[in-house]
Amino acid sequence: MKYLIVLLLGLVVGSAAAGAVLYYNPFLVTADGVPNPSDRVLHYSLPDDVLAFSFGNDARYFGSDPGDDGLWEETIDRTAVLGLVLNDDDNQPAAVASRLMAVSPDSNLLMRGVVVSDYWLVTFPGQGTLFVRADTNAWRFLKEALLPVWFLDRPWNGPSEYWPTVGPGTDDNGVVVGLSGDFRGSEGSVVERYELTTLDPHRQSALAEGELRLNLDLSGPQVAVQP
Amino acid sequence: MKTVFGLAVLVGFGGTLAAAQFAPWLAHTRLPSQTTVVANGGRAEQFLIRLPADRIAATDAAAGGVRAVTGSGAMVLPAKFVAEPLLVEHFKVRDTGGNVVGVAARHWSASAAGATTTWSLLIPSRGAMILSAPGEQRGALEAALQAAARSPNRVSNGGTVVAMASADAGTVTAGTGEFAGLSGTYVENWTVAGVDDEGKLNATIELSTITRQPE
Repeated sequence: MKYLIVLLLGLVVGSAAAGAVLYYNPFLVTADGVPNPSDRVLHYSLPDDVLAFSFGNDARYFGSDPGDDGLWEETIDRTAVLGLVLNDDDNQPAAVASRLMAVSPDSNLLMRGVVVSDYWLVTFPGQGTLFVRADTNAWRFLKEALLPVWFLDRPWNGPSEYWPTVGPGTDDNGVVVGLSGDFRGSEGSVVERYELTTLDPHRQSALAEGELRLNLDLSGPQVAVQP
Repeated sequence: MKTVFGLAVLVGFGGTLAAAQFAPWLAHTRLPSQTTVVANGGRAEQFLIRLPADRIAATDAAAGGVRAVTGSGAMVLPAKFVAEPLLVEHFKVRDTGGNVVGVAARHWSASAAGATTTWSLLIPSRGAMILSAPGEQRGALEAALQAAARSPNRVSNGGTVVAMASADAGTVTAGTGEFAGLSGTYVENWTVAGVDDEGKLNATIELSTITRQPE
């Protein structure tokens, strides 16, 4: 009996030590992006510019109920679908985006963090449609904001800025491909930046200002890439 | 006693790190792929969307016609876009066995160069596929429904089939995961049964893809 207690105690101590290592894991620290002055910047505010948001039971960031119309099926319960208006620098609507998100198979808490595969369709009315593919690392947001503030009721030291894009293109950028209209055949890179401006679990309030920064070569080859 | 404690600490430490590395709880549930091999090479796979059950959301502007949504599930466009020829729809996607396997977004828009349709299909356990084609004429579904209503066979034909993209026009443009590097074509047909009393469209969308690995 004494050995069993010691064994269990040892397992708990070992697991706790590993948990601390994971929490402060230096491999999961990602560098902030550097703004490129030639980027075309599209802006969004959350939740003001959200057209629709559906998510599965296991994709709940803020503990909200996905409801009867949510993505409840087992095959899509770690998936989310977001409709969004994107604005230009003058804060005028410039595009409508559909953002399909799913937890990436590349996620691991030891070397990469919690990676979300992001698939955007961005349509500029009268101009054309872009496909944006990005890997988004949610670990820093989860570790610094969501877990301690939203779920553990710790004080928040915000506002906080995040550059979550970690691939799959070169230099940890996402990939953008022109599908139709003026963008057809073009290709380029993309990064996302957002600033969490309010996080108040008592008022159930989370506000953010985001940017999608596109660097698009409109004179690119007339062949779509396979990201 | 010390040895047991030390070993237990090591097992707990290593086991937790191993679990974090392989994170099996993050994997998506996968159903068998309903693919078939086609005669001249490549593979065929069909995806289905049953309306209204599989509609997640759609924009509310007039360009959507009977496909636009008001009330629950409506994406209310900003005033600047209301008059634009633009329709954005979000769906759940099924395999041919009727099982939900993914989600999709469909964007239809028109410009001076003509209308275009793009699809983003995400099957979480497999990857994503991007499809594009010249878009259907605005009001294509409404015109087909009106024509069917005048048809003497309207009771027995089981629905009106509207071809939204033909094989010589629909292309598989990009892919990720299991679909990475594939090229191919797709056909999009809507079989429309009608519009119910609540204004919801009853239809089945068939996306039939044929893909192959470029040589």
